[in-house]
Amino acid sequence: MKIVETSTGIKHSVEVLPVESEDFRSIKKERYFFNWKEERLFEIRKLCLAGSNDILGLISFEVIPREWRIHIRLLTVSKENMGKDKRYEKIAGNLLAHVARIAVREYGEMACISLKPKTLIASHYMKKYGMRVTGVTLSLEVPEILELIRTYE
Amino acid sequence: MNMSQKNKINDLDPEFGVDSRYNSAKERDSDAVALMEARLERIRNLSRDEIIRARLMQLKLKMEQYLRNPFYDGRNHFSEFLEAYIDTIYPKRSAFARDIDITPVALSQVINNHRDPKDEFMLKLMVHSEKVFQKVCNFQKRIWYEVYFHDKISHTMSRQEEWGPEIEQHVMVSEPFVEYQTRDPRENDSEIE
Repeated sequence: MKIVETSTGIKHSVEVLPVESEDFRSIKKERYFFNWKEERLFEIRKLCLAGSNDILGLISFEVIPREWRIHIRLLTVSKENMGKDKRYEKIAGNLLAHVARIAVREYGEMACISLKPKTLIASHYMKKYGMRVTGVTLSLEVPEILELIRTYE
Repeated sequence: MNMSQKNKINDLDPEFGVDSRYNSAKERDSDAVALMEARLERIRNLSRDEIIRARLMQLKLKMEQYLRNPFYDGRNHFSEFLEAYIDTIYPKRSAFARDIDITPVALSQVINNHRDPKDEFMLKLMVHSEKVFQKVCNFQKRIWYEVYFHDKISHTMSRQEEWGPEIEQHVMVSEPFVEYQTRDPRENDSEIE
C-alpha cells in the first residue's frame, strides 16, 4: 500500500493499523474533523507512513455479518492532507481498500462495503471508486470491490 | 463541525472525509432492506468468472491473514487452503491432479493429511497458482511454502511438552561454552573496567 507525495510524486509505503487507546490523546477534532472518541464501540483504523506514528487518515466501520456487509461510519484525512495543497494523495482510497479487503476476506463474492454520505459528495465516490447508489446508500460490491483492492495493493 | 463548515471543506476536497453514520436504527433498517434487495439481484447476475475471481482474492487474503496470526488452532491450514483453491477453479479435483501431472490418489492424500506434499508438488502448485492468479491480483507464489512451514512450526511447538522430555535425554552440550552460560555477564563488564 502506497500514498503519493503531491509535491514530488514519490510513493511512500503505509500501514493501516487498529487505533489503540493511547492514540486518542493525539486524535483531535482540529486535525481529524470528527469526535473519534464517539466511535470507540466500533472498529477504527489509522493510516500511517510505515514506521511512523503520525496518523494521516482515519476510518471507522461496523461489520454486519448477517448482510455480508461492512458499513463505513466515518472517514477522514488529516487536515494538512485536504484540499489542493495536500501533502499526500491516496489516503482515503487506501483506507477504503483496507475495509474492502476485510469484506472480501470474510464474505467472498457476497462482500459489500457501504457508505451513506450526508453531503453532495456521493457522485465523487461513484465516479472515483465505482460505487453504486441504492436509495441513499452507496455500495461497492463484486466486481468493482476487487478492482479497488487491486488498485491499492 | 457545522453544516456550512462541512460544505466549505467539501468544496475544497471531496475526500476530506465522510460522516456516514445513520441517524436512527429505523433509518438503518430501512436502508438495509432496500440495499439487500438490490444486492441480491446483482449477486444473482454475477458470472462464474466473477465469482471465481472473488473467491481467489478471498483465498489470498485468508492466507495472508493466517500468516499474520501467531496462534495455533490444531488445524492443517495448508491442506484447507489447497482444497479451497482447487474447488474454486475445478468442478472435479481429478482435473487439477491431471493438470499438475500427479495421480488423484496422491492429491487426495495431501488434501486429507495422509502424506506431506513433496517438493515437486509444491513447485507445481506454485507455478499453477502463479498462472491462475495472474489476472486476479498480486499473488506471491511462495505463500504456499510459508503457510506449509507455518503449520509445521506451530504444530511442532504446540507439542513441545510431548516430545521435549524424550528428546532432551538424547541431547547434550559437551563444549565448554556451557560453562560460560552460568556466569553473570556483569562480571565481564567489571573486569573490563
